[in-house]
Amino acid sequence: MSRYYYYLIFINMVANIIASVPSILYESHKEGSVSSMILGLVAGTIIVTIYTRFFNAFPGMTLPDLLEKTTAKWFYKPFVLFLAFMWFFAGLITLATYTFLLIRYVTPEMPVIQISLSIILSVIFGCLMRTERVLYTIELILLVTLPLILFIFYKTYSGNSLEWDFVKEAALYVNQLPDLNSFSASFFLFLGVVNLFMFNRFFTKKQSFNWKHVTIIAIISTLNMFTTYFIPIGYNGFENIDELVYPWISTSDSIRMEYFMIERVLFVFLLFYLGIAFVSIMIHWHVSIEFLKFVFNLEKLKIKGFKLGKFIPIPFFIGASLFTIVKLNEYQLLRLSSIFYNSLIFFFPSMILLFFFIKRSMKNAKQAKQN
Amino acid sequence: MLLSETINWVNEQFKNTNELVHKNLEYENKHILLFYLKSLINSEMLQQLIIKPFFEMSSEEQFKIYLQALPQFQEVTSKEQIPLEMMNGNILVKIHNELYLLDFRLANNDKVNQTSVETTIHGSQLALSDNLMTNINVIRSNYHQASLTVEYLVKGEVNQHKVAIIYDKDKVKSDVLDTIRKRLQNVDKQLITSTTQLNNFINDKRFSLFPQMIMTERPDRIVYNLGGGKVILLVDGNPQSMATPVVFFDFMTTIEDNYHTLFISLFLKILRYAGLLLSLLLPALYVGVTSFTPEVFRTELALTVAGSRVGVPFSSFIEVLFMLFFMELLLEASIRLPKAVSATATTVGGLILGTAVTEASLASNIMVIIVSAVAISTFVIPVNEMAFSIRVVRLLLILITSIFGLAGLILSFFALIMHLVNLDSFGEPYLKLYTLAKDKKSSEGKS
Repeated sequence: MSRYYYYLIFINMVANIIASVPSILYESHKEGSVSSMILGLVAGTIIVTIYTRFFNAFPGMTLPDLLEKTTAKWFYKPFVLFLAFMWFFAGLITLATYTFLLIRYVTPEMPVIQISLSIILSVIFGCLMRTERVLYTIELILLVTLPLILFIFYKTYSGNSLEWDFVKEAALYVNQLPDLNSFSASFFLFLGVVNLFMFNRFFTKKQSFNWKHVTIIAIISTLNMFTTYFIPIGYNGFENIDELVYPWISTSDSIRMEYFMIERVLFVFLLFYLGIAFVSIMIHWHVSIEFLKFVFNLEKLKIKGFKLGKFIPIPFFIGASLFTIVKLNEYQLLRLSSIFYNSLIFFFPSMILLFFFIKRSMKNAKQAKQN
Repeated sequence: MLLSETINWVNEQFKNTNELVHKNLEYENKHILLFYLKSLINSEMLQQLIIKPFFEMSSEEQFKIYLQALPQFQEVTSKEQIPLEMMNGNILVKIHNELYLLDFRLANNDKVNQTSVETTIHGSQLALSDNLMTNINVIRSNYHQASLTVEYLVKGEVNQHKVAIIYDKDKVKSDVLDTIRKRLQNVDKQLITSTTQLNNFINDKRFSLFPQMIMTERPDRIVYNLGGGKVILLVDGNPQSMATPVVFFDFMTTIEDNYHTLFISLFLKILRYAGLLLSLLLPALYVGVTSFTPEVFRTELALTVAGSRVGVPFSSFIEVLFMLFFMELLLEASIRLPKAVSATATTVGGLILGTAVTEASLASNIMVIIVSAVAISTFVIPVNEMAFSIRVVRLLLILITSIFGLAGLILSFFALIMHLVNLDSFGEPYLKLYTLAKDKKSSEGKS
């Protein structure tokens, strides 16, 4: 598999450490979180495999391309528009989370609009770039941020305040029945793969994808999930972990770098996680804008030779996200994300039926061509 | 074609100059006519190769064959060619009812210069000359490949300078070459005086901050670029060449990197990238940390910074801009000033201003350190053009940080990376991560 494919999956996974996923998991920490995570891990690996195999069968083709070839116009136009909204919303959740984080920890006296504008304005023009350039940007930003984030993980695992007893206690609840919210939150971690809907246009050659690649993904996601869930418990204790608004921020604030210029790991963590959030929002909104371009044929819209079309979604994106962020508070955001994740566990597995349909029609079309 | 008419026409073309020499040689049974512009001709060569043999040869026929055998000999293909070539230092010879051109140009600028912009410790200390032919000679004698191709164009409506496109036919990408040719065709400027001008004329963008071509004066760098499949542009009368397409990393390498041992050059590279990051981020970081989030630094450091700012009446934003402004003035002044004066200027500026400013508490001590660190680290960037761009980007970053705080700085740094990735240099991506394995078949393509 091309290395760019892994970026898509892992960014989604890593970006959600800091977002609502841990909080949702901790809500049922005495019920079925651990078992839901295990279930989510299995289901997630399966869906990654199915999605990758499907898109690997059609190298270089995006989902709208495939839908256009196999389904009727009354179906695919509204459907892709719906997908565009969904991706916009996925980006919006990350955006809102980071805006709240920044106002809480870095610049408390700054207006919310100004903070969210700083993120939106830096990201939004990246969404208009060509797909391959988006991937190159992702790679470079990861190159800057990932070493620091790995360093922070090293610090968390080697910290003195990490009490493994709490972790063991939390793991004992594995025998509880899984519940929906935790399952969908852990399932969501794997959904980076669905960005292939658009990013598949970059992978123009057939990739080799077999059990080795699946194992790599499974191992890394297990580690990631373990870290996401158990490390904050190890630092903050098990009993009232569900009371923390941002478990990971509290965790990173318990770590110090005694001999460095910056003492509190929190700031390194926050500022460099901003890179991950930046990339995550960029991926989601890039896909969303590409869907919109497809639905409304925005590429063809020109005024005096100037390609105006692709700029049209931008004001709507900025307006809608500012409006939402001003209206939301942290609790509503948490609930909203939970509802969003819950809807996804029904939506994406049922997409597999559509894939079967597409695959069959494509095969039929191919056979018809050969005859 | 009537010979006398052509000669009259040529005379007509040059009627406004008094430098056209019209020489009529007649001896025994031989008769030739010479026309040339006196200031452009190497008169010693003229004496040795034409006038002396003329009086020694026995017949006009023999002299004509002799002329045709000269390496400087050139056929006349059209009437319009004559005045152009004469202005390039050719002599028009009329013999036996025929016209010939002989290249006797006098070039006083064909001495190879010492490197002055890209000085190195290792490697050749010689750069290019001001003369196009000498430069091509230098390049060819450094790059022994039959596939090395040189194309000539004449650009600049008024001054009609020769532009050479040099490339290795086996290595260059043909679509890049086509783009360059097409864009060069479209250049319709009155005057072309420098190779670096082409950077602006053929990059197709009105607003561009980052250079799309790399300027070099070192033959070894030119050869290195040619071997990498780049296209080199040279303009007559210019000691600089442009290489294109470029990637961002080209601006961060010196040719010396190849001459050092592995670890030394790795160390120097790390140093250089650290310098790049420092010169970009340090002033903005100062603004962000002092004015927005002082708690980022460890307590002792935060207190030191705050302590050194005691008595400074400005906000950190004004303070940084104030000091950077003087630093930029100093930089600019030391380029323009005559060499004798520039040492004084830097002393006055750097030493006296630096200490006086802190004593008058117009800026903090730490600010002075930061500004000088930034100035030094800007010089570490090996290619000048990139250093200029970085200076501008730095100001933008300070501006953004003073509005959006530390998070704004980080975000705008990512946005800068994004902008660089989005740039094109003649169809090639400007910034992307290249992996070392070049022959490995990549399993993804352009979308």
